[in-house]
Amino acid sequence: MADKINAAAVNEDELFTFVSNDDLESEKIIAPRYSYWKSVFRVFFRKKTNWFVLGLLALLLLSCFLVPVFCKYDPYENVTNAYMYNKSPVEAMRLTGGFSLKWCLGSGQLGNSIFYGIWTSARTSLLLAMICAAINMTVGIILGAVWGYSKAMDRVMLVVYSIIANVPYILLISVLVYIIGSGFWSFVFALTITGWLGISYFFRTQVLIIRDREYSLASRCLGTPIPRIISKNILPFLTSVIVTLLATELPSYISMEVFLSFIGIGLSATVPSLGRMIQEGQVAFRTYPWAFWPPVAIAALLTIILYVLGQSLADATDPRTHM
Amino acid sequence: MGKYIWKRIFFSILSLLVVVWAVMLLVYSLTDRSVIFQTDDVWNKRSNNDRVLYEYTQYQRYGYLEFVNFGTFSKAKWVEKYGDNFDTADEYLDDKNVIQQVGDAYLQNQTVQEFIQYYSGKGYSIVRLDPIRYSTGAKQLKPGGTGYLLAVKEKLIILRLLDYVKGFFSIETKNDVKDPELTDRYIRFEKDPYSKLFAIVGSGTTHKYLLYFDSKFPFIHQNWIHMNLGVSYTRYRGQEISSVITDSQGDLKATRQQFPAQIGTDIWVETAADFHTLTYNTGDLTDTEKQQFPDKYTNATYRRDGLSMIGTSFVIGVIATFFQYLFGLPLGILMARKKDTIIDKMGMWYIIFFMSVPSLAYIFIFAAIGTSLFGLPYKFANAQVKILAFILPTISLSIPAIGGLMKWMRRYMIDQMNSDYVKFARAEGLSEREIYSTHISKNAMIPIVHGIPGNILGCLVGAIITESVYSVPGVGGLLTKAIAGHDNGVIVACTVFYTTLSLVSLILGDVLMAKFDPRISFDTKGGR
Repeated sequence: MADKINAAAVNEDELFTFVSNDDLESEKIIAPRYSYWKSVFRVFFRKKTNWFVLGLLALLLLSCFLVPVFCKYDPYENVTNAYMYNKSPVEAMRLTGGFSLKWCLGSGQLGNSIFYGIWTSARTSLLLAMICAAINMTVGIILGAVWGYSKAMDRVMLVVYSIIANVPYILLISVLVYIIGSGFWSFVFALTITGWLGISYFFRTQVLIIRDREYSLASRCLGTPIPRIISKNILPFLTSVIVTLLATELPSYISMEVFLSFIGIGLSATVPSLGRMIQEGQVAFRTYPWAFWPPVAIAALLTIILYVLGQSLADATDPRTHM
Repeated sequence: MGKYIWKRIFFSILSLLVVVWAVMLLVYSLTDRSVIFQTDDVWNKRSNNDRVLYEYTQYQRYGYLEFVNFGTFSKAKWVEKYGDNFDTADEYLDDKNVIQQVGDAYLQNQTVQEFIQYYSGKGYSIVRLDPIRYSTGAKQLKPGGTGYLLAVKEKLIILRLLDYVKGFFSIETKNDVKDPELTDRYIRFEKDPYSKLFAIVGSGTTHKYLLYFDSKFPFIHQNWIHMNLGVSYTRYRGQEISSVITDSQGDLKATRQQFPAQIGTDIWVETAADFHTLTYNTGDLTDTEKQQFPDKYTNATYRRDGLSMIGTSFVIGVIATFFQYLFGLPLGILMARKKDTIIDKMGMWYIIFFMSVPSLAYIFIFAAIGTSLFGLPYKFANAQVKILAFILPTISLSIPAIGGLMKWMRRYMIDQMNSDYVKFARAEGLSEREIYSTHISKNAMIPIVHGIPGNILGCLVGAIITESVYSVPGVGGLLTKAIAGHDNGVIVACTVFYTTLSLVSLILGDVLMAKFDPRISFDTKGGR
């Protein structure tokens, strides 16, 4: 066999060749390409349950934003028809003549359609949660980053925090609602005027932990300006913290609205919201269960989905899971 | 450590003051003050100027402003000059009449000018309430149409705060009762005929028994030093908040007792009166009262069989907290031990459910399950057996709380699990059980311990939603109801109460944590 392997038969390409000593080339480090956000989504979509939950959320979001567009919800459409008040699904459909999506969940205490009501209300609650979370997170994170970084600001803000954190939250909101009214935007204002403070405080602690790490210290010694230290050294490290925070904040505003409506300082009667529907339904929740459980179920479903999704995303944004 | 704690207490009091000031600013200057009259019967009965005068009187009583009536001013002036015969003096009658004239004629009066000049100089503003007659020329005044001249001065919030702080604690002295008939004034030890022990008894003080023993928890009671949290305006009209929340509720509980003057005789009566709470009666005594009481201390509060508002909330809260730690800690440890197994996953779903679902939703789920499956009473007042009424609220509070505790316990356990001491213990050959139950959990408990005082003291605040769903007569809804009823006194009282509790529990938590973990020290000596 040895004679078959001869120099002539071997392809030229397969032979070793001399490589010149290239200084530039030797400086390059060969490592697999790593893109942070690509890895985040790779890890996120690797879990099958995330697909399912994401699909469910998409379905809910579509319903919340499309159903009210096509089916106008009017809570007072049957005010004059007392016989439509508090009707069970079966009865309501019988009274309106056959099966309809509108009455498939029965009617409320003023003859309003529960089915249309929950989607319109859920849209209000979702919008409220999104807007409040966006405002509070943005203000909270920016101020929290500066608060954690600047020692002079820390001294002032700690005093401010200990005072405002001790004023009962319900008191603050209700006084604000009392003064500026209980419309949608005044409610947003009431929830955000001090809502950022808690986020800011949480974020300050996180920044404090990272601020004095060696790499940050080294960066400071090399003269990196503070805004760049915050944006390049500290904030990327906290991406997963931010997402975790978002995962708890977003559902918390839905719960908060439900809670405030229950104790009587929620949105005004003209704005349909989940909290108001639950509050109206709870009065006779054992006699007319169909007016109570659907809004509760939607609120619970929305908060659970947002929370679970947020937690999975937070896990995925942690670079340690990218291996 | 002592110095550090004192410093903390000092700063806590300071921040408490600022919080109260901020809340006073919110409720007294930003909200409409006239709403307190919506449910006031006296206000509804009065009309025209009398109603306005009543408003000023109430505002003064609740500390919004100070005002002086011209009538008082002129009376004082003429009493000084003529003594007791002032009311027949022409000048006094002139002053009285000129105020009742329509138009600006009253400004010509000498005393009116003095009044205006004196009070304008002191920063008061002058309010003239013109007399209201049936027609312009008519002599007769409309009901409540009497004319008034007032000097009014708004009170600054900071002065209100000062007054509030000054009057926060009050101690009864033997000169409290303003009754010239009472000559024998003392505070002394006496034998207490009701407890058969001794008591500190006062004469001239508002309460008769200042310090006494009885069979009710905590067995030693006092009426000597009072804490004045604030006075309710609308909901518990005129009542002191601390007594509203601590007085027992429920049905009257009569027992066989003897009236103070009848002790030693064989006259026994069934009465619910608690003779240890006797207070001085400034009016005239009836004949029966004269037989029953040796002195003018005749007003007693009645014993009731229910817990007080704060007691109800506290009992429910403390039992719930007990179950929270009883189940939450072991379950959290178990989840950490069986990390990533089915037990851990089930626990995570439990936690996620209670973290994300609105509390209102799951409380109603508990209510629905408890009432339909187990036949437990739904509304507190409807319970046939009183003790059963406590079950659903307690469960509704403890089950979600267990989830919250499990979450943190698991987190802290897992954080500790990769520590060197765990590896070392494992290398030493300790059993997993021993490592988890004694070594890891002890370290993981440190941050948990910090929250225990807060959890227990938090029970005094009550639970808003749970109590409202089950109609529990607790303190949970105190603040929200006060806000809805514009009961500003209660709002301020609640703020003081809640803030004090949260500050105290923070300090207690730190102290407890330092006791639990000897590595933690508050000394500023050494180190950075």
